[in-house]
Order: sequence, then structure tokens, then C-alpha cells
Amino acid sequence: MPGPDKETDLTERIEAFLFDLNRGGSGAGPLRGSAETARETTALLRRITAQARWSSAGDLMEIIRNEGRRMTAAQPSETTVGNMIRRVLKIIREEYARSRGSSEEADQQESLHKLLTSGGVSDENFRQPFAALKPNVIEAINELLTELEGTTDNIAMQALEHIHSNEVIMTIGRSRTVEAFLKDAARKRKFHVIVAECAPFCQGHEMATSLSKAGIETTVITDAAIFAVMSRVNKVIIGTQTVLANGGLRAVNGTHTLALAAKHHSTPLIVCAPMFKLSPQVRRLSFLSDFYRYCEILSKVNVHCPVFDYVPPELITLFISNIGGHAPSYIYRLMSELYHPEDHEL
Amino acid sequence: SDNDCLKLVEYFRAQMRKDPDMASAVAAIRTLLEFLKRDKGETILGLRESLKWATDCLTGEDSSVAVSSGGELFLRFISLTSLEHQDLSRCKKVMEERGELFLEKISMSRTKVAKLCHTFIKDGAKILTHSYSRVVLRVLEKAAAEKKRFSVYVTESQPDSAGRQMAEALRKLNVPVTVVLDAAVGYVLEKVDLVIVGAEGVVESGGIINKIGTYQMAVCSKAHNKPFYVVAESFKFVRLYPLNQQDVPDKFKYKADTLKTVQNLSEEHPMIDYTPPSLITLLFTDLGVLTPSAVSDELIKLYL
Repeated sequence: MPGPDKETDLTERIEAFLFDLNRGGSGAGPLRGSAETARETTALLRRITAQARWSSAGDLMEIIRNEGRRMTAAQPSETTVGNMIRRVLKIIREEYARSRGSSEEADQQESLHKLLTSGGVSDENFRQPFAALKPNVIEAINELLTELEGTTDNIAMQALEHIHSNEVIMTIGRSRTVEAFLKDAARKRKFHVIVAECAPFCQGHEMATSLSKAGIETTVITDAAIFAVMSRVNKVIIGTQTVLANGGLRAVNGTHTLALAAKHHSTPLIVCAPMFKLSPQVRRLSFLSDFYRYCEILSKVNVHCPVFDYVPPELITLFISNIGGHAPSYIYRLMSELYHPEDHEL
Repeated sequence: SDNDCLKLVEYFRAQMRKDPDMASAVAAIRTLLEFLKRDKGETILGLRESLKWATDCLTGEDSSVAVSSGGELFLRFISLTSLEHQDLSRCKKVMEERGELFLEKISMSRTKVAKLCHTFIKDGAKILTHSYSRVVLRVLEKAAAEKKRFSVYVTESQPDSAGRQMAEALRKLNVPVTVVLDAAVGYVLEKVDLVIVGAEGVVESGGIINKIGTYQMAVCSKAHNKPFYVVAESFKFVRLYPLNQQDVPDKFKYKADTLKTVQNLSEEHPMIDYTPPSLITLLFTDLGVLTPSAVSDELIKLYL
């Protein structure tokens, strides 16, 4: 029977995805880039929309929220999963509002204006069934997938505006977005790149190899040399794991050092981050526990190996995303356009 | 008209007495709503005029920023509603209903703010706060209810020693609290993890107007690299854009009685100061956690 088969197939896929997420986090499985994770999450959510049993928007949102909670619990440091879930939830809300005929796009956020003029408690429980909702939501998710596929290219297209000839650019570790960005600029300009190796995983080495294969003059330096070399650098361009709601970053360890050195020398710090990395979380003091993985080399010594750094928004000059360049103080606005405030906590 | 003014002020005072926990802006809005109900005007323009007169009356009694912003918000509420309905009697009915709803919603604001802010207080934190703020008190209550252990430093906050009132209230919650001199803020900041203050008004630039001594505290926190958090309800947003301390209007700086009796204001001590947005890390409001740059967005949405 098609019914139960589809359901078991769906559950199997979800379980497989959760397993992969879990493995990827402990370092045992293949390291996947955030873009792939985002794409797979969205594809999985599309499958859930298509195959799971639901009759109204409220049901679908409940199902997605539940699966979402499980996915974020499997790998809390992979924030793109949560971000994609929130995007899809917002898509569902919008499609529902469109089906009902109300133009609710302006009404999404809580605002003083809304407080003053609303006529009553809104009974938005999303219970009304609409036949056209399923295909509309699936189409919107398809658009989201197309957007995801184009993000790296959109960012790389902006490279020529920011990189000029004979510049010295510094970066840290390995970021696929920054790699594409620099390679695109290298087609028309000649410049030097200095890569900080980013111990202990030393992904900077792979980045340097890849860049030099594209014909860019590259130098690898140790993390300790960042401050010393900074006086020669014109721009710092980095990627990040997550962009937080206050405009700060959660990036690979060593980035805060790099940012402070850049601030000291008044060197502009540019962050290349696609919009799916934007997360509604704000840095809290207790975040520190997420940032660590423990390496047990010796039995009596605890080695703390932070994987991520927090970079405050004051140290960042510009964010380059697939929809253009923004100042860190504008990030809250982009957040309100991408996610609904009720979905901030899944 | 003077008699009416006295009756209005009496109603306002009664509201404040009935519920000492109520924000002065909420009491002002409640008073204006009552005034609206009793008003016998025939035109909307007349209604606006009399409401403006009533607001002036109230600011004559309590000249704080909060009362002024509450009054302005209510006037804006009237304007927005009157645009939708042309007929006065229907308009008034809608206004009364919405007014009650609005009051209900803003009485929940402090709870919403506390829910957002208490997660930023981690176990073992040392908090510094300034003077007596009911919103900060509510946040700390919530954190204590969540079984977090933290200790608080409160500034004495002269000239009215409001900090001691705050310390008393915190002792009742079994929170270890130390009262420090206003001059000891720089001294104590190295021990502190975060600074949380309330606000009497949040201005358009994202800065705040609060009890005198707040600016000093903000400058010191910036120097020590400690996060400076502000907790405020959304009805405190006001359409002011001061560029420095002098720009803040005199009517907010001094108490209403002082303004009426004293000849030479330059010899009086101001009760409030302005803290620019560059010193504030985050604002916790019932509209969410905002960066200072997001505040002007909210005001634009409302007033333009």
C-alpha cells in the first residue's frame, strides 16, 4: 500500500539524516559544508511536506517543528538546520495568509503600531484547510532550494567590487564561500593572499593549496603570526559558521584574534556569509559550552579545544551575502524578513 | 478648567496609589482613557485638543519622560483610530474598546521582558544595576525563580537613595545584594559580569534616558568591556533625538515642583541623564531583543 510505505520511507530518511548529522559532529563522518547541510535539510522538509499526513497548516507546522527539534538536538552546533526549518515555517505562514486572502506580510512582527491599532486577539491557529496549500508550499520550498544553490555564485559575483589589484588579503582556515570569492576576483585581478593555518585542524593548508592551483599567490602563516603580519594587510576576508542576531559571529577559533588584530590596525574586516547562516540566536554567556570539544590525549590533563569563537559586531566592517552588502547594525532587519518571531524558539 | 485639572491629577494619583507597581506611563494612559470616556466633545478635533490639555495637566504633576511618552502614544492612538472611523460616536466606542485592549497588553509587557532577559543571567553571575527599577526587579525575580544563583550590586543613587529601596526588595527575594556608592561604580566593575538597567525613556537613536548616574555606569562598562543591557517596555519609546546631555529638554531633567518654583534652573541638580546608543549592548523590550539601531525602526513604523 502506498500510504504506510511512504511513511516508513520518510521516517527512514529522517533517521538517516539525523544519524549523518550526529556523525558529522563528532568528527567521525565526512565533514560537510553548511551549504550541503542546508540543501539536504530543505530537501528533507520538502519531502515531509509532500509525504507526511497533514490536513491544515497548523498540523504541518507542528510536524516540522517536532522534526526540527530532533534535528537541532542531534547536532546543536550546526545552526543551518534550525535556520532552514524556520525559513520553511515562515513560508508556510505566508502561503497560509495568502490563501486566506489577507495581506499579512506587513503584520508579521510585533510592533508598537500593531499594539495600538489591532482590534482584538488574533486567532491565528492555522486550522483552516486549503487544497492549494500543499502545492504552493512545495513550490515555495523549491524556490528556496534554487536560492540556496545560487548563494555561493551570488557572493562571488561581488568580488570585483571589493578586491583591487596588488592588494594583500588575509583570511583564516578554509571557507568555501571565501574560496569562490577570491577565485572569482583572481580571474581579472592580481593580488596576494595570506592564509592563517588555523590549528589544530589546519584547514588553512587545504585552502592555500586550492587557491594556488587557481593561480593566486598564497602564503601560509601560523596563527601566532597574525598580529605581526597584519600591518602589511589591506583587507581581511573571512567566512563564518553562523551570523548571530546582534550582528556578531560564531566562527572558527582564531577569528576573534584576527578581528582584534584587524581592529587595532584599522583594517576592514569583511565577512562573506550567505543568508542561510543567519540565526535568530543572540550570544549568551552560556554559549561557551557549545563552543568546545574535548580531546583526551593524556589521562590527567584536560585539553580544552574550542572549535568556535564569538566575534562581537563592533569588530566587523561589512557582511557580503547573496543579497548584497550590509552593515552589522542592519542584521536585525534581515532577520525580521527571513524568520517569524514566534519561530525563534523551535 | 483648573478644577477639572485637579480632578484629573487626583485620578492619576489614585491610580498610582492603588497599584504602586504600575508604571507611571500606564497610569497616565489609564487616566487619559477615563478622561476620554467622560469627554462630552462634539468633534474629533475638539477631542484631540482636550486630550492635549489633559496630557499637559498630567506632565504638570509628574514631569518624567515616561508620562510624556505615554501621553504622546495615547494621542497617536487617537489619531490612528480616528482615521478609520469618521463618525464621532462610533469612533469613541472603538477607541474605548481598543484602549482597554491596549492597557491589557501593556500590563503584560514586564512579564514578556523578564522572560526574554532572564536567560542572559547565567548561574554565578554578578550583576550591577542602578537605582530602583521595577522592570529590573521583575527580571531578577524571574531569574531567582528559575533557581539561578547570582549576586547584585546596586548603586545608592542619590539624591533620593532609591537604590536602598531596590536593595530591600532584593533582600526579600533572598538575593545577596550590596549597596555601593555612586562613586564606586568604576571600582566595583572589575568584579561584575554584566550590567542591567531600566529606562525612563528610550529615544529615537536607541539611547536611553534614565536616572542620573546611568551614563557614567555605561561609560565605565564600555571601558571594562562588560555588556550593558537595558530593559524597558515598548511604551517608553519617545520621539526625541538628543545629541548630547544639553539636548535633553529641561522639563524632563527636573521634578515638576522644581520647575514651577525655582527661578534659576542652572543651580539645580538634574535627575536624569542621556546614555548614547554606542554604549548599549542590547535592549530587552516586549517587542523582542533589539539592538539600538532597531529602535528607530519601531518608532518610524508607529509615527510615520
